[in-house]
Amino acid sequence: MQILPFYLLCDESGSMIGESIDAINRALPDLHHEISTNPTVADKTRFCLIGFSDTATVLQPLVDLSDIDEVPALAAGGLTSYGDAFRTLLRCVEADVAALKAEGHEVYRPVVFFLSDGIPTDEDWEQAYKELTESRFCPKIIAFGIGEAQESTIAHVANFRAFMQQDSAVSPAQALREFASSLTRSIVRSAGSIAADGGDGFTLAVDDTVPGFSTVSLDKL
Amino acid sequence: MSPVDGADVPLHTLALGDRIGDGGQGEVFDVTGPGRLLYKSYREPHKVDGRELAALVALRQGLAPADRDRLDRETAWPLCRVVDGGRVTGFLMHRAPDSMTWRTSRGDTRLNELSYLLRAPKAAWQAVAQPTPAERQALVVAAVELFEWLHALGLVVGDVSQANVLWTVRPGPAVHLLDCDGVRLVGRPPVLEQADTPDWHDPLAVPGTVTVDSDRYKVALLVGRVLSQDAYSAPGRRLEPLPGVLDDRREHAVRALWDQAAEPRGERPHLGQWRIALAGRETIRLAAAEPAVRPPVDRTKFDGPRRRGRISLRD
Repeated sequence: MQILPFYLLCDESGSMIGESIDAINRALPDLHHEISTNPTVADKTRFCLIGFSDTATVLQPLVDLSDIDEVPALAAGGLTSYGDAFRTLLRCVEADVAALKAEGHEVYRPVVFFLSDGIPTDEDWEQAYKELTESRFCPKIIAFGIGEAQESTIAHVANFRAFMQQDSAVSPAQALREFASSLTRSIVRSAGSIAADGGDGFTLAVDDTVPGFSTVSLDKL
Repeated sequence: MSPVDGADVPLHTLALGDRIGDGGQGEVFDVTGPGRLLYKSYREPHKVDGRELAALVALRQGLAPADRDRLDRETAWPLCRVVDGGRVTGFLMHRAPDSMTWRTSRGDTRLNELSYLLRAPKAAWQAVAQPTPAERQALVVAAVELFEWLHALGLVVGDVSQANVLWTVRPGPAVHLLDCDGVRLVGRPPVLEQADTPDWHDPLAVPGTVTVDSDRYKVALLVGRVLSQDAYSAPGRRLEPLPGVLDDRREHAVRALWDQAAEPRGERPHLGQWRIALAGRETIRLAAAEPAVRPPVDRTKFDGPRRRGRISLRD
């Protein structure tokens, strides 16, 4: 079977406390519901949830969403260590790809939805990012910035597409609901083009525009 | 009323309700009013072949009442075109029967797609009532008979997949075909560029083309995958039907056809063969099918190479 792994790398630093973290936690059951009731999508995709603040925590190891009925909630507190987030992600990707292959699957390049509401508080994050993007299974990263996140940082983290919250138009909670819907759509539509035996490859379907966000041009940088 | 007589309906006369579906080629909307109708709105109307869509509408209008009832019962056939100015924007169709839907734990309604017959049940879709082994066999028969009938009407179904065949076992086993604007008359072009579903393509077909023969292959996939509850099995691999779905005679006959479906185009079993195999009838080998024994021929009676001597004309 061809598998497309999705990682949600989500900021749970202190500034996410309140509506923002609640919005993501409320959106996760929607995502699970949509994927788990669609067996064709569930067969071909896997999902992993990593929360990061002072350190990064693998809250839900990579899983077929139709095999779980609960997931640890995100809980806000602490600083914003991008470096630990990328190091943890890299470890997960390498172990997960190896495990899927050992089960007899073939694995497409992983897709990461990265979300942050602030600027990184650690200094060596760019080194960790470099190690991630230079690794053998370098994932495709779609980065979303809300709140205090800086456009240049979000654009730096993304290597596929980047989005910034439109400050005046929507609240962070509204933007986060749209973020989660966009992630769900991406999983469903991408899986729709995957053949179990690989076939002619597949199309990674990521929204060109997300309501409440402006699309950041990566070409400028 | 146009859904009744098949005449075109202007878009502005429709009272559209909620958007209930979003597919690759278009969106589906509820139509407020009588008849439980849906409107499929094409995303790229300029690519639609309006004449072919009209031909599908006309085919339904030309059927005898009993056949038209069957078409409406078993398919979401285009009832009439929807037009805006001179352009065809979509068509009206009946909503799938309520018995072909299920309700999720959160109360939203989903279609009872074939995909729920193709793998072991999961908690997330436990509300889908699974068939007994006998009902599973009956569902396969219902699907084969529907496709056989569509072929008899001179149609090519084209895209057969886990998403466009619905099923139910309440009150009895029945199937329902969606996306019928993807069906075409044999030898005619499609309404829109041919859609194909990953894992359901005919490996021997030229990409983008469909024929009665590719339909036969895809129906073989449907039969084998439903019987074995395996979303990815295909002819060429051993068929493992679920226990109790087929008796020995049927299993023997179905296996033979499954293997035959892996053969080149033109050799694949037609749908009548599947129906007979699934019905468990014995087949009788007909003597006339053997070449008749030819009588021996006396070759000396025919002209042929011969040995001639030479005659000397001198003494």
